[in-house]
Amino acid sequence: MRKKVTLLSLLFILISAIELSDYFYIPKNWPKPLYDFSQNPLSKEKIELGRLLFYDPILSKDNTISCASCHTPFSAFTHIDHALSHGIEDRIGTRNSPALMNLAWQKQFMWDGAINHLDMQPLAPISHPDEMGSSIDVVVQRLFNEKFYRQYFYNAFGDSVVTGENTLKALSQFMLTLISANSKYDKVNRNEETFTLQEWNGYQLFKKNCNTCHQEPLFTNGNFADNGLSLDKTLNDFGRFKITQNTKDSFCFKIPTLRNIEYSYPYMHDGRFNNISQVLNHYSKGIKDRKSLDVTLQKPIELSSNEKVDLLSFLLTLSEKEFVFNPKFQFPKKLILYKAKE
Amino acid sequence: MSRVLFLVFSALYGFECLSQSMVNLPILFQPVFGQNKIVLNDTINASQFGGKSSIEMLKFYISKVQLYQNDSLAYDEDYSYHLIDVSTPISLNFIVSIPEKLCFNRIQFKLGIDSLTNVSGAMGGDLDPTKGMYWTWQSGYVNFKLEGKNTLCKTNNNQFQFHLGGYRTPYSCLQTINLKVSEEKPLVIILDVEKFIKSIDLAAVNHIMSPSTAAVVLSEYLVKCFTNQR
Repeated sequence: MRKKVTLLSLLFILISAIELSDYFYIPKNWPKPLYDFSQNPLSKEKIELGRLLFYDPILSKDNTISCASCHTPFSAFTHIDHALSHGIEDRIGTRNSPALMNLAWQKQFMWDGAINHLDMQPLAPISHPDEMGSSIDVVVQRLFNEKFYRQYFYNAFGDSVVTGENTLKALSQFMLTLISANSKYDKVNRNEETFTLQEWNGYQLFKKNCNTCHQEPLFTNGNFADNGLSLDKTLNDFGRFKITQNTKDSFCFKIPTLRNIEYSYPYMHDGRFNNISQVLNHYSKGIKDRKSLDVTLQKPIELSSNEKVDLLSFLLTLSEKEFVFNPKFQFPKKLILYKAKE
Repeated sequence: MSRVLFLVFSALYGFECLSQSMVNLPILFQPVFGQNKIVLNDTINASQFGGKSSIEMLKFYISKVQLYQNDSLAYDEDYSYHLIDVSTPISLNFIVSIPEKLCFNRIQFKLGIDSLTNVSGAMGGDLDPTKGMYWTWQSGYVNFKLEGKNTLCKTNNNQFQFHLGGYRTPYSCLQTINLKVSEEKPLVIILDVEKFIKSIDLAAVNHIMSPSTAAVVLSEYLVKCFTNQR
């Protein structure tokens, strides 16, 4: 009898393990995640709750803005067509919302690295008057007032009492599942597909000119750099300087991943470039030389128009359709049903 | 023979240690304004410096509570984080469970939250971000919050707001406080807000809301404002 029970529980563990690995896995040849899962062990119930929270405008003051408002799945979780993201009452923020993916491998968040942990990231948009204009204690109270959420918190945490800790941990869990590691580039790496000649040429140019900052396989080294963008006088955004108060960090912004770049326009911290060609033109002839400029950019990157086309075609191999259309990441139907009942 | 006796005694001693019973040691943090306990929003006549004053909010973190006998550590509280909030009187008290007959003559604790905890993600209990002691625009706990009014402040409604925190060098605000205590007396730790406010040039410094040199300086002032009950 006891044997049977052990076997059954083993089987159960195996089954649940397999299912969980559909949500989170470490892609082949990738580094170890930086997120400490021991403090927030993944479970399907928590991921599911996090997804509901991600799509529910209940997080905003007037029930109009959800995380997904500025992080839509089809644009690789950024805000397509908006240079600067907007929040409640059409208020405009000061920065372009970043694309969300592979967040377990990221240690600092926001364009200036103001946030030190994925769990704490949602506090910023929830509280910012130009974004959701609410606060975590109001959010927690509102969630607790909903029978729907009390049930989901109970399923996820064994406690229907909603806390800030559990709300943030559930949101992290959903965001951690947003893994993009199955682009053409990845398939080529796994010998499942081959680059066209143009893509291959572009890859060589990428390795020569871009790879120091946009390091494979994440296509970012996680650092901050001044990439020579001129200062927008209406925003006066000095980037990481605001956080460290160190002049060395003036004009430094987080180096974003290039994965799914095709879907995540416009580009740069203020969304000033609408297409990748403009970005390449900036790096070849638009760099503003100043003290804080990153060493790798001090010699201009020279690219002929043919080379630009090749580089562009390589960058497009970083797109992953399955990521942006992954049904596990989309608006949860349960939320529609629950909102309809209200 | 003596070796056997030694073994017997050490075994007995070990047994006693294992079965050592624990006792509760209540600790009270009592914020005062000079001679008086603080009543939120009450007008305080502080004629020595700028006439009328009032305290509207006073919240701070006490962490890593330890008891020492001279220089040797006698007790180290596990998961030691306490939010003291004057608006919630019960929060001024907490109890640590220590071995019976523990000898100690000094208490040491931190004012604020250490840097490791600051970068460890969402936490619960007193560290839950719903407690209003976590910055949202930039990660990090606020170690100490004092808000109120003073006629010296030429601000809207004469308000002052001190949100002291920051864990990154060079703006780390975490402070260590050491006080001589006695085992016989109840542990009552006084924080004199008057002394703190008096050490600030309120006309010039009345709003601190982010990690900065000023926040570090004010955090250092606070160390001297904690005393053991006289």
